[in-house]
Amino acid sequence: MTARIVIAAALLAIAATLVLAARPHEATADERVDRITAELRCPVCQGLSVKDSPSETARQMRDLVAERVREGKTDAEIEAEFRTAYGDWVLLSPPIASWSGLVWLAPLAAVAAGVVLATGRVRGGAAVASAEPSAAERAALRERVAREEAAEG
Amino acid sequence: MTLARAVRIAIVVAMLGLVVTLALAFRRDPHDIRTGTIGKPAPAFTAERLDGGGTLSLSDYTGKVVVVNFFASWCLPCTQENPALVRVYERYRGSDVVMLGVVYQESRDSALSYVKRMGISWPALADDDGRVALSYGVFGPPETFFIGPDGVIAGRHIGPIDEGTLITGIEALRREATR
Repeated sequence: MTARIVIAAALLAIAATLVLAARPHEATADERVDRITAELRCPVCQGLSVKDSPSETARQMRDLVAERVREGKTDAEIEAEFRTAYGDWVLLSPPIASWSGLVWLAPLAAVAAGVVLATGRVRGGAAVASAEPSAAERAALRERVAREEAAEG
Repeated sequence: MTLARAVRIAIVVAMLGLVVTLALAFRRDPHDIRTGTIGKPAPAFTAERLDGGGTLSLSDYTGKVVVVNFFASWCLPCTQENPALVRVYERYRGSDVVMLGVVYQESRDSALSYVKRMGISWPALADDDGRVALSYGVFGPPETFFIGPDGVIAGRHIGPIDEGTLITGIEALRREATR
């Protein structure tokens, strides 16, 4: 009995902790700067985000993002400012609703095309395997069997 | 037409599209990259002159053809293109064409020394926090922007620019202005 109570209390405590940890909370200014700069590509680096780059350009971009956050701009407004200057290229994850968004669609289209082609092949193969021999083929087979029996006999 | 056949045709069309896109892209001059700012109003800025002559705003030159060149003394291609910039500046001096230099990631003292050494007599502007360069989407010096009398960015050249490209860009905007 006591053991059950302890287990139930422990489960309740874990559940309460999870709920508290997962509750939505207002991001701090620093968290917002980190989040936005993690999505921005450093223009003078090879595949590094503005957040991760030690370059001077990235530092200037981080300062600009921090200033815009302080001014009360939304994440979308700040990203839009950089997109205006550098194009969609500046976003490490290209937006789906743009030409560069095709990079998301292309792999899905390729997989779908592959599935359709493979399905077509499998069905075609099954159809061939299960096809009944025609009357002419049957007659030819009977004739061959009779010929072989005669040769043996 | 079966679905599989339609897919095969779609794949061929997609491959052809890819080939055409690549062929067009490889024909483009890599110095003339069309980024977000082309065809849009030039970002406004006010900056301090390196020579201590006060501040200068882009809006002061509305109605003129403006060439904005981002440069730095540590940038070798900048020194290579400088003679062309000097010749073109002298050619259009006193006309409806304005040339502005913006220092890219360099101390004012060092940049001013370079400006004097290289015979740059057009206004050279400080950009200590890089805001002007960021608003124009600059990747690195040298970069040159052509701004029309309507204040719209008409062209951009990445890398060292030559005299012919400068004059062609300027004259195209002057012709448009007189239409």
